[in-house]
Amino acid sequence: MQTSAERMATGVDGLDDLIDGGLPHGGITVVLGGAGAGKSVFGMQLLAYGAQKQAERGILVAFEESAERVLAHTATFTWGQGVSPGVEVIDARLSQAVEQGGDFDLVGFLAVIGAKARANDARRIVFDGIDVLLASLRDPMLKRREMYRLRDWVHASSLSAIVTAKADAVEPRATGDYVFLEFMADCVVTLHHRVSQGTALRFIRVAKYRGSAHSANEFPFTISSSGIEVAASAVSEMRYGATTERVSTGVERLDSMLSGGYYRGSSVLITGAPGTAKTSLSSAFAHAAVSRGERTLYISFDESPDQIVRNVASIGIDLQPHVSSGRLVLHSFRGRAENPEAHVARMRALLRAVAPKNLVVDPLSALEQRGCEADAEAAALRVLDFAKSAGITILSTSLLGNALPLSEQTPLNISTIADTWIHVSYVNQAGERNRALSIIKSRGTGHSNQVRELVLSDTGIKLADVYSAGGQVLMGTLRWEKENEARRERSVAEASARLREEKAALALAETNAHLETLSRARVIQEAELAQLRAVAKAEAEHHAYETEEIRHRRRADRPPEGEASARSSGRDP
Amino acid sequence: MNPPVWMKFRLYIAGDGPNSSQAVANLRAICDEHLPGRHDIEIVDVVCHPRKALDDGVLITPMAVRLAPEPVRRIIGNLSDRQAVLHAFGIGAPS
Repeated sequence: MQTSAERMATGVDGLDDLIDGGLPHGGITVVLGGAGAGKSVFGMQLLAYGAQKQAERGILVAFEESAERVLAHTATFTWGQGVSPGVEVIDARLSQAVEQGGDFDLVGFLAVIGAKARANDARRIVFDGIDVLLASLRDPMLKRREMYRLRDWVHASSLSAIVTAKADAVEPRATGDYVFLEFMADCVVTLHHRVSQGTALRFIRVAKYRGSAHSANEFPFTISSSGIEVAASAVSEMRYGATTERVSTGVERLDSMLSGGYYRGSSVLITGAPGTAKTSLSSAFAHAAVSRGERTLYISFDESPDQIVRNVASIGIDLQPHVSSGRLVLHSFRGRAENPEAHVARMRALLRAVAPKNLVVDPLSALEQRGCEADAEAAALRVLDFAKSAGITILSTSLLGNALPLSEQTPLNISTIADTWIHVSYVNQAGERNRALSIIKSRGTGHSNQVRELVLSDTGIKLADVYSAGGQVLMGTLRWEKENEARRERSVAEASARLREEKAALALAETNAHLETLSRARVIQEAELAQLRAVAKAEAEHHAYETEEIRHRRRADRPPEGEASARSSGRDP
Repeated sequence: MNPPVWMKFRLYIAGDGPNSSQAVANLRAICDEHLPGRHDIEIVDVVCHPRKALDDGVLITPMAVRLAPEPVRRIIGNLSDRQAVLHAFGIGAPS
């Protein structure tokens, strides 16, 4: 950031970062805008900041309003209290009653103002509504000449100047006679006030900044009791410190799925269709936090504090004692139809006032109901950014269609900044509606890919395993049925196996028995065969003996070998 | 027909620039013509006396103020528009 010697810090929240520290020091900045765009507030806020925070006294030269009215208006802002004597308001109205009889110039004007600035030792000066003064100079040449005179005077003095002028309401550029204002100035800021989809939105743009690289984009801003706050949508993640401390989600099983819980100071997004228990999960988180003794701020867009306490009491979460003790601050934005930036300004004011360690915004997507998506998204990012840089753990919920997101697109594209994203959906099966919770992403944490069934009962929130087989995920009674069926099938299978076993054993036994029989039969047959051989041999021997005996008795001679055998077949009687 | 009246003027100028010089010259000429011997002109240079200018509520110069008779009347500019000056100060035809 540049030193104040080169830049005049405006003190307008979010603006100084955009313009390298501030407006040109010692130079002249022209602020253009339509009626009610915030030019006067801008000037006054800058002077107040200078006097209160930079030890730079200032002067406001008011061409349109009396000093009393300017100070009264200033007092409506938080920084407007006690703004004098650091800031002096000079009434420079050209009364209607004063006629004009010829040309005039700003020589005397600048002499008087200059003397005042020196007497007050002022460093900052705002000429508020210079177009009123210039209107009295009929000749365009004169207007130009006098404005250059003013610029030279500023450059020669030790003052940094702001000149506000009413410009075209639709597109605040200096038109016609005032085009030269843009050429003459060192810096040009335009304030734009338009209505988008029924909501009034304000934008600031640094249209020119001599000698400085700057973003010429429009940035949304709000005017609240804190004055002007600019939404710089560049979110710097480098500012976030890393921490490894975990805080409980409020649901035991979810804590273990996330290796202990959410990281402290991280951002958690819970999405799902209406009725998918997002508020219950948010309340569980809040309850766990306050039970740890940590201050928690719960901002609801849908329900009143009483409704929230009542609703979660039905699932066994008792928030009342923590509300009574003040540790849990419930705040409802219900029924407020404002633009996103106004909501953000209020949220930031609450955060400053409550200084919690944890924040719940339910639902964050409520920012989107008014105004266009880009504004709501930028607003949401601002809230998350603000909380994260303060080390606050933030849990926000968002409405999302029931289908499990296939891509990481949410209606508010904040899934990129969310560290943990949990989605709850309805699963319709067999006439039943069950809730499925899945962790879509969890930065820096391993997490289960599986879906769990989210069960709400009067004892609290539980996560149950789902039945998953054959590519199907079942919950509720279907799961129970399927589990029973599986059990049945298993016992049937076991019984069949046992039966087959028995049969095989029987067959084996039979075969063994058969083998036994066969071997016995073999023994018998071998014996028979042996016997037959023995009988045949015995007969042959007997016959041979008989034959020999008879011969012996008959003293027969031995026939030749061949005849003996032919004859021996028949016996002699 | 306006009765003869005495007027007192204070003319605030800023240095010796063209508008200031013209304002001085013009006021003197108007007074000499329309209020001979019945006028008084005081000249205040705001460059030298800025505090007085601020106290008197004068920021734009040249500015001519009729202090008397009441009510106080003012007119800004170099006073080259004579008709406007006469009208602003209620000065009638030359006597």
